Amino acid sequence: MTVTPTTMTATPTIDVETRGLTKIFAARHGTARITALENVSLAIRRGEFVSIVGASGCGKTTFLRILAGLETEYEGSITLDGLRIDGPGPDKGVVFQDHRLLPWLTVGENIGFGLLDLPKTEQRERIRKYLRLVGLQGFERAWPAQLSGGMAQRAAIARALVSKPRILLLDEPLGALDALTRVYMQRELEKIWTREKITMVMVTHDVEEALYLSDTVVLMSARPGRIKKITPVHLARPRDRENPVFQNLKKELLVEFGLRAKSLFSYEI
Amino acid sequence: MSTATDTTDTTDATDDDANATTAPSSPSFGGRSRRNLPRLRHLRRLRHLRNLPRLRRLALQSLLPVALLIAWYLLTRFALVERIFLPTPASVGEAFVKLLLTDNLLNDFQISAITVLKGFGAGAGIGLVVGMATGLSRTVEDLLGPLLNGIRQVPTLAWLPLIILWMGAGDLGKTVLIAKAVFFPVFLNTLQGIRGTPREYIEVGRIFDYGRLRLLRRIVLPSALPGIFVGLRFGAGISWTVLIVAEMLGARRGLGFLIMRAQELLHSDQLFMLIVIIGVVGFAIDAGLRRIEARLLRWKRGFEG
Ligand SMILES: Nc1ncnc2c1ncn2[C@@H]1O[C@H](COP(=O)(O)OP(=O)(O)OP(=O)(O)O)[C@@H](O)[C@H]1O
Ligand SMILES: [Mg+2]
Repeated sequence: MTVTPTTMTATPTIDVETRGLTKIFAARHGTARITALENVSLAIRRGEFVSIVGASGCGKTTFLRILAGLETEYEGSITLDGLRIDGPGPDKGVVFQDHRLLPWLTVGENIGFGLLDLPKTEQRERIRKYLRLVGLQGFERAWPAQLSGGMAQRAAIARALVSKPRILLLDEPLGALDALTRVYMQRELEKIWTREKITMVMVTHDVEEALYLSDTVVLMSARPGRIKKITPVHLARPRDRENPVFQNLKKELLVEFGLRAKSLFSYEI
Repeated sequence: MSTATDTTDTTDATDDDANATTAPSSPSFGGRSRRNLPRLRHLRRLRHLRNLPRLRRLALQSLLPVALLIAWYLLTRFALVERIFLPTPASVGEAFVKLLLTDNLLNDFQISAITVLKGFGAGAGIGLVVGMATGLSRTVEDLLGPLLNGIRQVPTLAWLPLIILWMGAGDLGKTVLIAKAVFFPVFLNTLQGIRGTPREYIEVGRIFDYGRLRLLRRIVLPSALPGIFVGLRFGAGISWTVLIVAEMLGARRGLGFLIMRAQELLHSDQLFMLIVIIGVVGFAIDAGLRRIEARLLRWKRGFEG
């Protein structure tokens, strides 16, 4: 329980700051040692929406787990609000890559998972409200096993939001959704973000989604996991995906991602 | 229920199992109803067939027992086997009536049932508590593990003479013996169930600041429950077996004692009757536990054959 204030040079609006973050998974029988993160330094302003994109296995989930306080062995420093993160807690909401709804609780009970200390009536009210928000009204008493993958993901988002965290960490939260529901949920996320003014860090594979939602897009490269490029997005919200500036940013990021148009189409010739 | 109540109950006829408990009723988020209405209208005509799958199962389940009964009847009807080896079904029925009316069968049954309940209750209760403590704490595991493992290696019935020596052949000795037999499956399965709780779920609890008690109540125990039930059902089966054997070896009352007496008096019809009773009771105990299990684990959807 050490509390280390950051240096006074940090601007007061900085919310999350990582410096030289390095995470190495030790070699185990049959697997080599893996540098999941190497020297990752990133400052996230209070209320900022940051997206992290990058190829599979480049350390996005690992980074988010360290932010959440679930991973405690690493080198470098990481602070939230100037204080070292020393464990998970309800102030840091997490939407996991796998939805992690508890199968023995109903959808409603899962969403109210973090509300046990509130009076029963308020619990019920909030559960209803967030069920509606993610479009799951009527499924309060269903079991998670009765939901589709996308519905389970939406329930997991509701569970993270319902206890009003200060910072929300989302690991590919919209990955299992169809295109329409995805756009709808992106708008909902943006609304929640605007209304609650919370800091959000979202991992996604979808560059367009990242550009639509974020103030800053962080592109990571794999093996070792490093920050390759940080792209600020200065476009008015709600954003127009057809906007030429938006399209240009998208193209640039995709090229950095490694999806060069030439190599993509060369197969078809 | 939704507006589609009228049609939903016909679809349920096809999946006869109890997963209709909390069927979500409103249409899904996209606004598209998940039920296919035209097909259902066609199905409605077959409403009278809704119990068909259940009947089919019942028929399958009773097929072999009934065949056995018929074979038994035929074997005795044409005197293919001597009556001392295989009494007729009718004489077994008579033996039942006689045992019931003049021999106080109910009294012996009650004695056996109470002993089993006491032994099972004690063994399962202690097994659960010790299993939970061991599962949650490595210290307790190191403390108890070796001793318990040693005791476990000696078969329950090998303890019988010693227990009779210490506690007599009465109720207490049998209760202790049964408790010992039930303890181990319950203990081991509880321990395993708790240790098998996925780390991922524990992390969810930690994010919402769950203390030890909440973690236990809302995550660890529910996750261990399927395993715990394996132990309980196994233990219930053993407890009934151990009781009968213990009563056969040293008792003056109870079903096991009646079996020994019937053997000595060469009452093979009584012998048959008692075997049927013991089997039926064991079956009923397991069926009861299965019902409780199905209720508590209704969130679980496994392979249903
Ligand atoms: N618990 C662990 N033990 C050992 N290695 C791990 C562990 N977790 C992750 N890794 C390794 O760290 C690297 C980064 O993993 P991580 O899960 O952070 O990737 P990711 O960017 O989230 O990938 P994806 O987009 O596929 O989810 C991978 O090479 C992985 O093998
Ligand atoms: Mg990941």
